[in-house]
Amino acid sequence: MKEFKYLSPTNIEEAISFYGQHSETSKFVAGGTDVIVKVKEGWMEPDFLISLKKIKELSELHKNEATKELSIGALVTHATLEKSLMIQNEYPIIYDAVSNIGSLQVRNVGTIGGNLMNAVPSADGAIPLIALDGVALLHGPDGERSVEVKDLFVKPYVTVLKPGEILKKITIPPQDANVGSAYIKFGRRAAMELPLIGIGVLLTLDDDLETCTKARIVLGVAAPTPMRAFEAEKSLVGQKINKEILIKAGHLAADESKVRDSVRGKAWHRKEMIRVQVRRMGLKCLDIIKNSLEEK
Amino acid sequence: MDNQNRELSVVGKPIPKLDAAQKAMGRAEYIQDIKLPGMLYGKILYSKFANANIIKIDTSKAKALDGVHAVLTGEDIPKKMKMGFIKDNPPIKKDRVSSFRDEVAAVAATSLDIAKKALDLIEIEYEELKGIFDPEKAMEKDSPLVHAHLKSNVLKMPWNIHYGDVEKAEKESDFVVEDRFTTTWVTHCCMGTSGAIALFDASDNLTIHTNTQIPSLAQKDFLESLKAMGLENKRVRVIKPIIGGGFGSKLDTYAYEHISILLAHKCKKPVKIVFDRVEEFTATSTRQPTVIYIKQGCDKNGKLTFRDMKMVLDNGAHTSWGATTPSVMLMPISSLYRVENVKYNAKCVYTNNTYSQAMRGYGNPQATFAIESSMDMLAEKAGIDRIEFRKINKNQSGDETPQGLKITSCGLEECIDAVKKELKFDNNNEKGVGTGIASLIHVGGGARIYGSDGCGAILKMDDYGKVDIFTGGTDMGQGLDNITAQIVAEELGLLAEDINVVHSDSDVCPWDVGAHASRSTFVAGNAALGAAKKVKKKIQEFASKILDAPAKELEFKDRNVFLPGDPEKSIPIGKLLRKAHFSPNGTMLMAENFYDPDNRNMGKELKGNMSMTYSFGAHGVKVKVDEETGKVEVLEYVAAHDVGRAINPLLLEGQVYGGVVMGLGYALTEEVMHKDGKNMNANFRDYKLFTAKDAVKIKAPVIETIDKDGPFGAKGIGEPGCVPTAPAVANAVYDAVGVRIKDLPITPEKVLAALKEKKGE
Amino acid sequence: MTTKIAFILNGDRISYEIKDHWTLSHLLREEMGLIGTKEGCGNGECGACTVIVDKLAVNSCLYLAIDIDDTIVETIEGLASTDGTLHPLQQSFVDNGGIQCGFCSPGMIMSSKALLDENPDADREEIKHALAGNICRCTGYIQIFESVEAAKELAVENKGGENG
Repeated sequence: MKEFKYLSPTNIEEAISFYGQHSETSKFVAGGTDVIVKVKEGWMEPDFLISLKKIKELSELHKNEATKELSIGALVTHATLEKSLMIQNEYPIIYDAVSNIGSLQVRNVGTIGGNLMNAVPSADGAIPLIALDGVALLHGPDGERSVEVKDLFVKPYVTVLKPGEILKKITIPPQDANVGSAYIKFGRRAAMELPLIGIGVLLTLDDDLETCTKARIVLGVAAPTPMRAFEAEKSLVGQKINKEILIKAGHLAADESKVRDSVRGKAWHRKEMIRVQVRRMGLKCLDIIKNSLEEK
Repeated sequence: MDNQNRELSVVGKPIPKLDAAQKAMGRAEYIQDIKLPGMLYGKILYSKFANANIIKIDTSKAKALDGVHAVLTGEDIPKKMKMGFIKDNPPIKKDRVSSFRDEVAAVAATSLDIAKKALDLIEIEYEELKGIFDPEKAMEKDSPLVHAHLKSNVLKMPWNIHYGDVEKAEKESDFVVEDRFTTTWVTHCCMGTSGAIALFDASDNLTIHTNTQIPSLAQKDFLESLKAMGLENKRVRVIKPIIGGGFGSKLDTYAYEHISILLAHKCKKPVKIVFDRVEEFTATSTRQPTVIYIKQGCDKNGKLTFRDMKMVLDNGAHTSWGATTPSVMLMPISSLYRVENVKYNAKCVYTNNTYSQAMRGYGNPQATFAIESSMDMLAEKAGIDRIEFRKINKNQSGDETPQGLKITSCGLEECIDAVKKELKFDNNNEKGVGTGIASLIHVGGGARIYGSDGCGAILKMDDYGKVDIFTGGTDMGQGLDNITAQIVAEELGLLAEDINVVHSDSDVCPWDVGAHASRSTFVAGNAALGAAKKVKKKIQEFASKILDAPAKELEFKDRNVFLPGDPEKSIPIGKLLRKAHFSPNGTMLMAENFYDPDNRNMGKELKGNMSMTYSFGAHGVKVKVDEETGKVEVLEYVAAHDVGRAINPLLLEGQVYGGVVMGLGYALTEEVMHKDGKNMNANFRDYKLFTAKDAVKIKAPVIETIDKDGPFGAKGIGEPGCVPTAPAVANAVYDAVGVRIKDLPITPEKVLAALKEKKGE
Repeated sequence: MTTKIAFILNGDRISYEIKDHWTLSHLLREEMGLIGTKEGCGNGECGACTVIVDKLAVNSCLYLAIDIDDTIVETIEGLASTDGTLHPLQQSFVDNGGIQCGFCSPGMIMSSKALLDENPDADREEIKHALAGNICRCTGYIQIFESVEAAKELAVENKGGENG
């Protein structure tokens, strides 16, 4: 592996300042499970790796019980999210997505922020955050700015991050009542999988528990970047949700997608999976809403 | 044989693997872990094209790099240094490359990093040529040639046999089925990657540390290489480190071994080449892919009348054991179930793809996939229950098959019954659930592929009753060490822990043809048993004098030699051995035994009893098919095997479970994806091995037929586990949702496409 | 580009001057001679290199050595007691057929240890989930699961022995 100098800033300003000093040849690194592979394989050749691991505020996972806002620090690991009961119970779509990223060894080290910044089309980390209308807080030499997670991605491996900017955290706005969310990664085997297709669905129902007030259908590996199937979502809002409506939504989502053939799967199969899984995940959301009400 | 009926103390016991503790502690040394003083690191440069002329190679910059000791190209390879049984493969190619895995240069340097840098500095000018990737197209008369000096892409191979009269039998059949099946490349994925360290002594004798399953044959290959290098009458010592998996991948010698030898000789220092995982995927050989045309028929009573199979085998750019898989495929083709009229023709065709060699099953999984899928199709056409159909045609003890295989012990029917018992084959009303069955025949008593099928053993006992047994066999995790130890311990009344099995050094260990064909238990086991019997006789003779008892009546148990029924006449074996040693005209207890089974090489006619006995088995599987996604879930799996005798039930289970999971990967998830000859998934992310989460519950009934020729009645089990897995799954998928997938692996995409086609979509 | 780090390795306090770009696997295997940890792929896809850092199972091939500064590291070499008694997991893998060629075993055992240290009552599903990142080509996994489950019993017995 190429030799580099490793810097360990303890706060954000220091991190940005280090970057400023060596901007041409530095890279930020979080858990390292993506960056280290890239350096090993020669895709990246930094002279400096600026580790964000010692910046404590980036590792905070916190739900504000007053505002009901969830704050996920960029350096929160996938394993931390997977093990959190709060995430499992209240944000099942995040749990579904992160609990099957790579292996436990990778999840123990890999971070949600690192996953977002890697900007892979499969985007297991991004999809749930998009479905939850997450907002990313970026901090750079010019100050702070917020970007919705759905707008973070330009193309594979490229985000809107400006040189010197760091992703600080993702904020999830308070969820509505009667919400259910689910994610599935479809692949050939049960673990260590880069998906053929990733589908996340979030549904919110009105007090009548039938009419949909909000729908999010987010697809991974269906386009160069994670995408929302807006037409499919629109087809659900204001409708009484049932199997037939979800089937139609699945078809719409498949039509909106830009799937292609790759080593991991053929386009027609991915489209078919979108049709099937949007319906299945939608029904799962309804189950979750029903069960959580029964528990109450 | 008296062995078969007596009560056993050590054989048949689930004794943990003898080297497991060492491995559990992280103390086992694999090739990756070995460092020798002054050692250099070698690295190989591979071709950038599937088919190209090499116009120019400039190694000057690489040679000039600090730390580089040698750079080799095709020019540096002696003319007669060629690999493969038809010697068509030089370890570094000159003038022309014919596949992406062709070696074009190699370096030796003081560190791995420097070696890698040096490779980047080698400048090669290629003239790219059009590649040939489809073996059926490559067979055509006007196809461009992979090797310009040959007249055709079709190799001259003897795979053309006809027993009986297939045309006549077809005419007389009441039911006939015909179809085409294909299997693609899969690869061994040993967790420990390939590697070798070569070094020469002051007299140019070679020592090579290498992960090989064929220490004696490798020694021969290396001697030939030395001869080609102008080093005649030298010695070659082959040392095996602990091997991190074999599965057939090390049954031929590889370029990296010959290159390490050349570099070591040039640099006058030890040179180590170890593959990284990408190289392990791209530069080791795969399982032989096949295109299979099969026709089978039966009469109205369900008796098989004929089996006619044609195959086209993608030979890749160079030749290794893949081209000989037909010799083993002939076994299930002619002898799985009773069928009198058999025709088989296989063509091996050069292409610009990778080339294949041995992989667990050696062609049997591929042939059995076609045969057992076709058997279900024929049963359905004839209106006969698929299990009943198999029983009607079952092999039986005493049969001699059209190929000349003599069936001695045969537990096929018991295996089928065991599967039937464990897995309920009654009609399931549950949607998408189905069951499938498939059987296997495999060599179980050696396999005379070469002139010799022998294995030597040397047994030495020390003054304390401990045994060293030097065997030609190879342990690569499958348990040859335990099998040997348990057999010897049983014969000499010792405990398994008293036996030290040495198999690592060709200077010390006798000759063996190799750890292939599941022959280790039978052949190496019999070799060790024979040596133990010789020593036992010597001990009996000496003990009879000491104990004043008839030699032949003395028995051995619990480290004692004794006369049954007389508690006075007993002596601990260690004490006895010391007496034997420390007396006038003292003697030492040693014996050697070379066991070469009484089987036959098939010769040009490909007829003959190539093994002394055959292992049988039947697998049953219950699957659930998700008709919307095409995903096949294995609900239950039963793998019943006729093993003769289970020498070690714990390790036997390990071979069955491991074989079945490898077979399920073959059936459902594994494939090397090539695009125009280039490997597109040379990593564990995209080459889908079963993970722990994919693991299925497996029941493994053991049928013991106590073979008359096996050591304590045992036959081989190393390969059978992965032989009938794919057709069992394919048959179950058909039973579940009515679609038959004829191309492995059975992916969700293929199942879904077939379901849609069935629905007319 | 060297850095001095200090960490606890298998119970011993270690100070080491490392190069910043070294992976933990390189430090252990090539610099410290601890060859028990294996490398099977080099990019986190097989788990053969698994070690434990601050109670978490990690792939040492992707973990920078510099990141173990001020942490507690456990490798396979540290599992057996100083008197040579195998750790219950090691003993159990030996006794139950969990080891064939053994190349995946150190990583497999360390992953299992991380699991049982955190969740001594892990059931079969939890074991499968925890070991999903450790590939084995030899065993088909069944005897590995049985080894981990048997180790749970052994650990309970040992604890009983300590208290009794």
